[in-house]
Amino acid sequence: MTDHRTATQEEWQAERDELLAEEKEHTRRADELAEKRRALPWVPIEKEYELETADGTRSLADLFDGRSQLLIYHFMFGPSYEAGCPTCSSMVDGVDGLLPHLHARDVTMALVSRAPLEKLLAFRERLGWSVPWASSANSDFNFDFGASFHEEEMRAGMPPEDQLPPIAARNAKETGTDLVSYISEMFGATAFKLEDGVVYKTYATTGRGVEFLMGYYWILDRMSKGRDEDGAFQTWIRRHDEYGQEETA
Amino acid sequence: MPEHRVGTQEEWQAERDELLKEEKELTHRGDEVTKKRQALPWVPVEKDYSFETVDGTKSLADLFDERGQLMIYHFMFGPDWTGGCPVCSSIADTFAPQAPHMNARDTTLIFSSRGPVDKLEAYRQRMGWGIPWVSAETDFHRDIGFFYTEEELKPFLESGKIPPTVTQNAEMCGTTEAGYVAEGPGLSVYALDDGTVYRTYVTTARGLEGPSMAYYQLLDRTPAGRNEPPDEPLWVRRHDEY
Repeated sequence: MTDHRTATQEEWQAERDELLAEEKEHTRRADELAEKRRALPWVPIEKEYELETADGTRSLADLFDGRSQLLIYHFMFGPSYEAGCPTCSSMVDGVDGLLPHLHARDVTMALVSRAPLEKLLAFRERLGWSVPWASSANSDFNFDFGASFHEEEMRAGMPPEDQLPPIAARNAKETGTDLVSYISEMFGATAFKLEDGVVYKTYATTGRGVEFLMGYYWILDRMSKGRDEDGAFQTWIRRHDEYGQEETA
Repeated sequence: MPEHRVGTQEEWQAERDELLKEEKELTHRGDEVTKKRQALPWVPVEKDYSFETVDGTKSLADLFDERGQLMIYHFMFGPDWTGGCPVCSSIADTFAPQAPHMNARDTTLIFSSRGPVDKLEAYRQRMGWGIPWVSAETDFHRDIGFFYTEEELKPFLESGKIPPTVTQNAEMCGTTEAGYVAEGPGLSVYALDDGTVYRTYVTTARGLEGPSMAYYQLLDRTPAGRNEPPDEPLWVRRHDEY
């Protein structure tokens, strides 16, 4: 026998029907927030950014690639990293196979990071992704969109190390850099619209706001054990080709 | 100038900060609903279902593949169909890349359909999904409400109100409207404890959007949103057919 409460199908169904009412309410509330997001004002982006891509130097408008909407994921891969952030990598796993569906809805998805382009492209090839990835190494793009911080500012403003969540030190090690360099990069998503040649920022999010890209959490939230992270969030996440390997000492 | 309202960064930030409060509230509400899901009682599955797989006939307990949790997506692919449901295929695009992460969390993800295993396997290879796909006996889908009889469907089929998406998808699957809606999409979730299989959660309809239609989460953050007029057939195609 299990320690969990058991029931007949009929007892289960009665409780499930109650919960369904709450799930529906949550879905509709999410619909309302999606509408509110779309009602936010658009901010024209007046600064020119030079972004390095596999096809050469491109502007932000070029990244739309013929579509009118662009969703950028700010992937944590700083100049001193040897490999991309494992948690960011797990998000790209979920998105990469959805690109044809997004394109069909006039949405281009791209990653932007501050590491040099060749590092990004080599890592992309290793993980088997096809999503476009641009380097902002030669522009202020990451700093302007809250995706990078200057290390000296970070060092001065950061909380004591023991107050950072365990994932920070772990991912610093896994990306082959030091803690300050690791957290000087920031994850987040920014949505843009291109209209009459002008690029507008329409939406941006970070923190738990990026869970919309973490499909595994949406699944685990339906499993009996849930996320099962015991306070140490994300520390179980590996790059998809690294599961089952021994932890490096 | 766009027809949409334009603002400065400061104006945007002020409105975005207000919205952030509501987003956080929704996230926390989602955490509460998750806790309630986990508090549902478990129902022991006493019937012996059998499944045809590329590795032979298996029981429901076998499908856990030595893990403690199992999530099954009931993929609409009837015995006579020539291809899988396009929307289910987009759902599989969401699930397939999550398999390594799920396995690391003691969870096996599989698809189950009523179609024969050789058809399922050929389609799986075409679409490039690395997730096991089993052929189930009808009762397995029927018992949790993911297969309907002709008699049950009669009022719907004779209503004259068949949505254009049903007509379109039936054609894409090489079946009739009646054949298409006989299969139901859905998720069923199980735990294996001390040798007994328990059903812990079941969902369908918009309950599938969160766990299995990740593109909607992305579209909900874009300026145009989902943009799905109800009188038009759904835009979703198989990923190799756009």
